[in-house]
This record gives sequence, structure tokens and C-alpha cells, in this order.
Amino acid sequence: MQRTNYLARKVLFRAITLVVVIIFNFFLFRILPGDPVKSIARSPRLTREVREQLMVDFGLDKPVWINIDALKKGNILGGLDTQFTAYFQELMKGNLGVSYRSRRDVAEVLQERVGRTVLLVAGGEIIALIFGVTLGLIAAWRRDTRLDTSILLSALFFWAFPTFFLGIILLILAGGHLPIGGMVTPGLKPVDGWKYWIDVGEHLILPTLTMAIIYTSSYVMIMRSSVLEVLSEDYILTAKAKGMNTFQILRDHALKNAMLPIVTIVALNLGYIVGGAIQVETVFSWPGIGRLMYDSVTQRDYPMMQGIFLILAISVITANLMADLLYSILDPRVRAE
Amino acid sequence: MKLKGLKLVTIITYLVLILVVLAACTPSPSAETTEGTSVEEMEEPAAAESAQEESTPSEPVTMRVGVTTIWDAMNPATGWESYNIRYLFYDGLIEWSGLTSFEPGLAKDWSVSDDGLVWTFNIPEGLSFHDGTPCTAEDIAWSLNFLMEGNIGPLGLYVDGFEEVVALDPTTVQITVSEPTPLMITARLHYAWILPRSVWEGMSEDEILEFEDPRALIGTGPYKLVEYVEDEYMILEAFEDYFRGKPPIDRIVIQQYATEDAMVQALQAGEVDMIDEIPFTAIKPLQEDENIEVAVMDTISIEDLVINSHVDGTQPESLNDPVVRKAMDYAINKQGIINVAYAGFGDIAGSILPPSFDEWVSPNTDPLPYDPAEANRLLEEAGYTDSDGDGIREDADGNPMEYRLYANETGTSARVLEIISDSLAAIGISAPPSLVDNDALYDLLEPSWDFDLILWGWGWDPDPDFALYCFTCDSIGDYLSDSGYCNEEYDKIYQDQGGMTDKEKRKELVWEAQEMLFEDRPYITLLYSKLAQAYRTDRFTITEVPGGDLLKKSTLVQYTEPVK
Repeated sequence: MQRTNYLARKVLFRAITLVVVIIFNFFLFRILPGDPVKSIARSPRLTREVREQLMVDFGLDKPVWINIDALKKGNILGGLDTQFTAYFQELMKGNLGVSYRSRRDVAEVLQERVGRTVLLVAGGEIIALIFGVTLGLIAAWRRDTRLDTSILLSALFFWAFPTFFLGIILLILAGGHLPIGGMVTPGLKPVDGWKYWIDVGEHLILPTLTMAIIYTSSYVMIMRSSVLEVLSEDYILTAKAKGMNTFQILRDHALKNAMLPIVTIVALNLGYIVGGAIQVETVFSWPGIGRLMYDSVTQRDYPMMQGIFLILAISVITANLMADLLYSILDPRVRAE
Repeated sequence: MKLKGLKLVTIITYLVLILVVLAACTPSPSAETTEGTSVEEMEEPAAAESAQEESTPSEPVTMRVGVTTIWDAMNPATGWESYNIRYLFYDGLIEWSGLTSFEPGLAKDWSVSDDGLVWTFNIPEGLSFHDGTPCTAEDIAWSLNFLMEGNIGPLGLYVDGFEEVVALDPTTVQITVSEPTPLMITARLHYAWILPRSVWEGMSEDEILEFEDPRALIGTGPYKLVEYVEDEYMILEAFEDYFRGKPPIDRIVIQQYATEDAMVQALQAGEVDMIDEIPFTAIKPLQEDENIEVAVMDTISIEDLVINSHVDGTQPESLNDPVVRKAMDYAINKQGIINVAYAGFGDIAGSILPPSFDEWVSPNTDPLPYDPAEANRLLEEAGYTDSDGDGIREDADGNPMEYRLYANETGTSARVLEIISDSLAAIGISAPPSLVDNDALYDLLEPSWDFDLILWGWGWDPDPDFALYCFTCDSIGDYLSDSGYCNEEYDKIYQDQGGMTDKEKRKELVWEAQEMLFEDRPYITLLYSKLAQAYRTDRFTITEVPGGDLLKKSTLVQYTEPVK
């Protein structure tokens, strides 16, 4: 019962957050200076009539928040005929709108881009998790040895290393051996089967490696310190006193207790999967959601920005919710809260 | 409890196993560029190369081009970036081949009636569009009429003054103009692209504006579109029935890189054969590569400091004083800008027209020398003194000379703005630099005119007419004016030069217009910029670049050969 309550509260709270984000998203971008019509029709050679036509086509001729003109005439419903209500109505229908820039359906573009970013980040994340947890455990276990120092030092080094800089170095080192830009050799299509996927795989190596190195270093440090903390607990001493060997202690007592902070950080990272790869995507020209976000912001592509930030919000909220749930499974004390 | 712990261990063991497998499959380029990896990596390209060598000349020739942006839109009705790529798809009756020179395009020859009102163009037989539909004189007349109706916004400017276009027979097009014009060849027909009836006929205005479709790129040009993936790449294929014959390069693959660094690296690594617009700082390192040729070419572009000249603008009164403008021109260290921000590539500017316009450039618009002392003297003399001793001059009413200075947020602009700001500070004018994005810049113009100075630039059209037009009163309403300059006397000269068929007389008018702008200074012209591009000489030989651009149609079709 308590657990159900706990879950219900968490879910409700997340739902409210999401609604706030949806409303906030709309206004956030419209506060930015700059006029989307000028970006849609950036040609200075467009006539005034064409510009006005474009405004109407994209609904930008309507007032943003309240239709004062209609209200003055006593038309209360007309007062709601605004860009905001149009946005909200369409969103409720599941329609994210059409990109100002490419004239494509936002949902369709997002679907394509999210898949690519997940492909990139998930690979980096899995590799990082494996290396990070293993190395962190080893470092803690071999505390104060030369092995520990070297693991810790290299982790610190890469953790402090700017992501884009690491990317550029890898790009220069690997140029000529591995593809350094794009997701696939132009012209190859999924219908080409293996050839396509091998090519994508080659393009993935450098960006994935960059992400993996950066993530690994933070996992190593967190894992090491939390295992060390656990190892200093009384129950570990008890276990030792019972005559368990080091491996048993690490496996049965240390690892599980030390996993809690890792779960938190992985969940947080997963939340940022969608947006967190901007730097890596930019260095390696990976056409994912991070670059789409950058391009859309610079071009005032409102519908696209709204779509991207909605996805970001959903993924961060979901990841946090998952972390909460995992916590309640891993740590009985949380349920009692 | 115990069971769960075991499960976790199993999971970790499983993950470690995956790790081992992954580590075995993933060649790690940074850590192990050992022989083992490089042999594995080298095998494939080597095999590909030998396959190419063994193959007969019938193997398609592919040129891979690296760019940082492909363009804004496919649709010629809304897009306007990357003229050079766009021009590969379409032809006009006239072709813009050199920087400011022209060749016959779809029209093989033409004549003008004695009164200068009727132009007759002869079209060869057998022309066709990429979709296989024929392109006869009737189709050309239809297309020009289509532009005249204002359907394709950006191209509409290039049929300005056309009264009537008709096809006399399948090989003759006749254009009647309202007044005799010197602009037909140099400022009209090369940009009035011929679009196919099969695609555009019957579309509503809305449909045209929304037509972001590959078919929008169907023309008669040397290349046709195979595939365009936004933000990734574009593949073009030689058009068999191009009027000059099938071009020597069978396929052009244009690949978009997110950064200039990656693009330069891709050229050095051989991932692409040519790159467009390289940063000037990358020129030296690229020149050291023996397989790479860097081309630094003249352009018809300028960089300028726009001064708000609009009558309802929010600029301080002192900025409207021609003496202040002149003093600022003396004070700005233009050579310093070229050296610091452009790695020494560029020429100090005087007139709004770069030297590539040859005889059209007025001889009386030599750049002012860099002379802060003279600038200070001018300001003192005009009564702008630092009355309160804070280092900033005030005008007669005591208003400080503090100006708002903007530019687009790029690295180059930031450097230029810094120098301008320092230069002005040296003569007692405060103009702290602020960087904003391009859209925010446009927002400062029509209709708000809410700025003092903006660092900006132009790529002009090959005839002086367009550059001069951007300072007329009409250009404010067309969103082409960025200074808000409006002067009836100037407009009169502009009108006259546009109708003057006597070249010498027109030249005098064009000179007069430039001198007027040089005097009134809606712009302080800073420099004439260069275009730097690079290509791999082990892949292609380029004998001539008449158009100042390796990607221009004339160069790609006529002067580029693959290395055998």
C-alpha cells in the first residue's frame, strides 16, 4: 500500500512537471529576439506579399497569447484565437506541427533523429558502464596500490578533458583510417543490408569512443568512492570476521550497496541521452537530435524546438521516474519514506 | 537476498563478456594505431583503389565535395543560399560564366531591335529538362511569364521591366521590354532560370511556397538531383542531354560537415576531393600538403560597417553628420582587420564596388588612409569635444558619442568588431561590441531601424545595378536596404543608369552614384573579401577558374578533369 502511494505520488508529480514544461516551451522560444518569418524566407529578395503569405501559412499572423482585437469587439472565443491555443490544441491531438525550415512533419523528423542519437549514446553508455564499474571496483579493491593510482589518475584526466577537444584529437588521429563525418557514406540505404550497417558501424566508432571515454571516467570515480565507503562499513568487518574471502565480500556485500549512486548517475545520463550529445554530434557531423536542436534554435524553427524540448523533458522525467522506481527496489528504506 | 545478489553478479559477468567481445571487434584508433589495426584498415581502401585502377574509363567519375551547409531550401521560391550549387541544376538564356562576364546559355545568339525594345533570342533544337520533357522556345516563354507573374519570389527581380515574352516559333523567343535597357544580358537573363512547365504549371501561390520537393530542382542544367538528405548530403548526377554535352564528372557527392575543422580534415584524409569556403587560417597548413591545391580567388563581395541612415532611425543625431562618418572612416584600421581577422587575405575597400567590377568602379573613391590624427582633427573642428573629460566626445548639446555596434556571432566578426571598437575608442567614440545572431540582426532593420552600427557584408550580383539598388528608397520596402539610406537625388541617378544603353554614359552615372555613397557613407566599406577553396590534385585537374569559384558551373563543366 505504502509503495503504491509512493508510486502514485511520483507519477502525479511528473505529470504536472510535464504540463508545465509544455506551456513553458511555447513561451521560452518566443522570448528570443528574432523573427521566424525572416528565417523561413531568408532571401532578402522575397517581396512583402510573399512574406505576408508565409506568415499566414504558418499561423504567425495571429497574436501569441491573447487576441486583444477580438476581445475588444466583445468576441470572447475569438480572444482565444492565438498561436498558443493553436499549439496546445494540435499538441493534444498528438500533432507536433510542421518544421518551418524543412517543411517536414516534426514528429517524423524527431523519430528519425532520436533513433540515431540513441544509437550513438547507448553504445557509449554501455561500454562506459562496463569499463567504469569494473575499473572502479578494481581500484577500490586494490586501494592505494600503483594500479589504483593509475586508474584514478587517468579517470581524473579524461573527466577533466573537454569532450569536443577529445573528439577533435581522435578525429585527427583517425582521419584516413576511419570515416570522420556523417552517419553513412552518401548513397547507401538500409535496403543495402549488411553493407549499410557495417558502414554505419564504421562511422559510429569515433563518436562512440569519445562518449565512452568521457562517461567511463565519471563512472570509475563514483564506483571507486562508493565501494570504498561500503568497505569501511561495520557489516563488511562482520563478513570478514565470519571468514568470507574478498571476492565473496565484494560480490555479496560491497557491489550491491555501491550500485545505488551508479543507478542515479546512469538514470540522469539516460535522461540527457537525447540532448547530451550535442558536442560529439557536432565534432563528428552526426545527424542526431543534438545538432537538430542547435540548427533549429539558430533558425527560430519554433515547432521543431518545441518538439525537441518536449522529447527532452519526457526523457528526463521518465529517467528520473525510473531511478525512483529502481531505488525503491534496491533500497527498502526509500519505500518507507 | 542472496539470490538477488547472485543475479547481479551474473549480469555483471555477462556485461564483462560483452565488453570482451566488443573490445575484440572494435579497432581502437587512438590507442592502437599499431600495424595490426592499420593493415586491417588499409586493406579495404587499397582493394577499392586497385579496383578503380583496373577498371575501364567507363567507371563513373565521382567528385566528393565537403561543405558546412548545403543550403537553406531546395525550392527556388524560398531558398537563396549556395548560388553555385543551385546553378548546376538550372540554365538561363545567358550563362554567368566569369566573375562579371557572360556566355550564351540556352540561347545561342540574339539581336535587339533598333528602338531597343524587342529582343529576339535563338534557341537550339532538341533541348530538354531533367524529367525528359522538351524545352522549346514555347517552354522558355512560359517559364519567363511564370516568373513575371511573381510566382518565384527571388527570381522575379530578374524579369523586371519585361513587358511581354512570346515564342515566335519553336526556336525563337521574343522579349519586349518597357524601356530600352542595358541590363538584359548582365543583370537579367542569367538569373531568370528556365523552369519546367511539367512541374510548376497550375500550382497555387501556397503550393509554390510549400513546394520543398526534389522536383523543384528540375531544370536543363548539367546536373540533376539523385538524392538530397537534409543536413547530411546531396548526390548529383550528370545530365546526359545537357546542351553542352554530358559533363566530364559523372557524379558529384556533396557532404555536409558540422564544423570547418572536420571538413578540412576530411580533405587531408582524402574523404572528400574538394572543399568549399575554407577558413583563412587553414590556408597555410593545407598549402603544405603536396596533394592539395588551395585556390584563393577574388570575389564580388564586400565587408562593411552599416551606419543607420534611416530618417526614422533611433541613431543619435551626431551619427547623421557626414563629418563624423568621415572621421570614423579615417579612424578604422582596415589593414589591421585584414591581417588579424582574415589572415592577410583581402583588400582595403573604398567604393561599394570591388575591383572585379573593373571599369565600373569610380576612380574617385580611393580608400581613405588610416589616419586617427586626421579623424581627431575633423571631430575637433566640427565641435565634437570631450567637454567632461571622460574620454568620450560630446556633441554641441552635450550628448556623448556612444554608439551601439552589432555583428553576427562568428569568430571572424568578433575579431573585426574588437578592432573597430578599439579604433573608434582612439578618437573618443565609445562603441562596445555586441554579438547577436543573424535573425536578431535582421530584426534591427525594417521596420524598427533600431541600431547605430552593424558589421555586415554583401555578395553583389555581377552587374553594378543590383549593388546600387540596395541604397534606393524602394529597397527599404523590399527588405534589401540595411542602412535605410534614402535620397531622391541618388534615386534619380540610379533610375537613369538603369535605362542608359550608351555604355560610356551609363558608366559616368554609375560612378556618380558610387561617389555620392562614398560622400554620404551609409556604409563605411572595410574590405573586399576573397574566397578560399581547396581540392586534391591527385584526384582532379582544374585548368581555369573564370568564375572565381571551383564549384561554379563553368569551371566544373568546362575546366575540370579527373586525374587518370
